[in-house]
Amino acid sequence: MSPHSIAFLLALVASILIVLLIDRLLRPGLRGLLQEIVILPAATEFYLRAFAIVLVSVAIGAVLGSSFNLKDGARFMEYVWAVATGLKDVFQNLFVVLLVYVGLITVLIAALTRRQ
Amino acid sequence: MSNEHYLIVSYFLVGLVSLCLGIAVYRVLRTPFAAIAEAVIGKLRSQVLTRALGAFMTLAAVLGFLSVSYNERGCVNYEQVVKNRDSLVRTNQEQLQKTGDWIASAVFLWCFVVLICLLAAGSTPANRNDKT
Repeated sequence: MSPHSIAFLLALVASILIVLLIDRLLRPGLRGLLQEIVILPAATEFYLRAFAIVLVSVAIGAVLGSSFNLKDGARFMEYVWAVATGLKDVFQNLFVVLLVYVGLITVLIAALTRRQ
Repeated sequence: MSNEHYLIVSYFLVGLVSLCLGIAVYRVLRTPFAAIAEAVIGKLRSQVLTRALGAFMTLAAVLGFLSVSYNERGCVNYEQVVKNRDSLVRTNQEQLQKTGDWIASAVFLWCFVVLICLLAAGSTPANRNDKT
């Protein structure tokens, strides 16, 4: 297996773990919030599924978009730096996604609670 | 496998994967979306919206795949494109990345569609209580 593939796989596994962690941390609170605001259970389910899809597609897309330029015989820290570069893109994209999602939920809360 | 064979196989394989990703996202979102649409605009018209969701997701995925060109990296002709295997692999990765980006954008857009549906339905607990 080439150093490029090893770094790519490490970054991929790390990004999947990060996505799972974020989803696990935010899902219960998000579900409670949505259930409180939206009376349709299907809407809660839709927003939670959309959240998961967007997180996964953006994180994996960021790893695929990163370039891991490692030569044969690369040292340990070179792998670490390569994976860190890949994860930087993952975090950047996740940051943007969370920002947009927070905006969306804020609009949802503002619009629906105003109608109460 | 020669570079030319790799190019042909990978192009169609990545295209198929992109299409399948779009369909998979549609299948994940279809059930809750159909329930929302049916509650808001009725069964007959909700089918139109649900089909639109499917078409939109599939189109977004295919668009992401097609938006990456093999000629973008300074390669003018076919021989230059085929010459470098690393560049071909990189292009395949970019195609999948763009597919993911387009799907994410499409999902966000449909989140706003659902928001509008919810607003139209006035589906807050208070509104429901008012109606009953």
